[in-house]
Amino acid sequence: MRESGDILRKMLTETREIKLDKVPYAFEKRIMSHIQETAETDLNLWKLWSRALFKAAIPCFSLMILAAIWASSQHPSPQTERASETKNTITVQAETENSNLETIVMIAVDPPNIDD
Amino acid sequence: MSEPTDKDLIIEVLKGSPESFEPLVVKYQPRVFALARRYAKRENEVEDIVQTVFLKAYSKLSSYRGDAPFEHWLMRTATYTCYDFLRKHQRNREWNASDLSEEENDWFENIGEESKDKTNLKAAKSLVDKLLDELKPQDRHIVIMLDLEEKSVKEIAEITGLSESNVKVKAYRAREKMRLAIVRLNPEKYI
Repeated sequence: MRESGDILRKMLTETREIKLDKVPYAFEKRIMSHIQETAETDLNLWKLWSRALFKAAIPCFSLMILAAIWASSQHPSPQTERASETKNTITVQAETENSNLETIVMIAVDPPNIDD
Repeated sequence: MSEPTDKDLIIEVLKGSPESFEPLVVKYQPRVFALARRYAKRENEVEDIVQTVFLKAYSKLSSYRGDAPFEHWLMRTATYTCYDFLRKHQRNREWNASDLSEEENDWFENIGEESKDKTNLKAAKSLVDKLLDELKPQDRHIVIMLDLEEKSVKEIAEITGLSESNVKVKAYRAREKMRLAIVRLNPEKYI
């Protein structure tokens, strides 16, 4: 009769003795091919991205130049001129009103000497 | 010309030559296979674990600081990967005496004899695997590291993040569970 603890110890000791380090043939090649694939995919993504950026740069630059030329060649339209004139009138009017109000307040605070 | 050291090879890989990783794989794959076979039974699962270990090691190679030997760093990565495998493939199966193979029954019959016979050792391993199947992944991980990989309690505590006393308690309870499973598996006459 044996104690179950002894049986377990024997089982574990024998399990430790088994050699488990057998490697399948050319397993390192399998790992290296995975690594190469990953590296190539990374490289391809980078290549694709930089190629797309380079392709996009030329049309973007030309578009920018065209937009600049168009903006500088544009004359202000009569409507725009009229709007700016109205704006100027309102500003002048407001300024005059403000100066009038200022004069009234100043007179109230410091009335001019009538005797003078 | 002398063979390049692990450090030389790692520097080469980090400089952008992945082929320098191959000698490292060749050198350490037997150890990683041996560890993976403690955790997985099917050979395709073992191969998947080993492949994951080396791909992880390759992608995280820049985080290797070089203050410990590369082998330690790699085996730690392997241990974590094996534990991940256990958690994902939690089986928790309870085996009975009727599930034992002929070789396993023979092992119990010849229990008093000292034998280094390969079949006998294989039967012992297969029985241990059956006992381990009944444990929770973390307990199984601890028993494998402590009783099969012969790591110290301190090392296991570092790897698992448990306190040393907690590792000891868990190991004791796991062995108790395995002992009880032996009583269930083993025909009464042998106990």
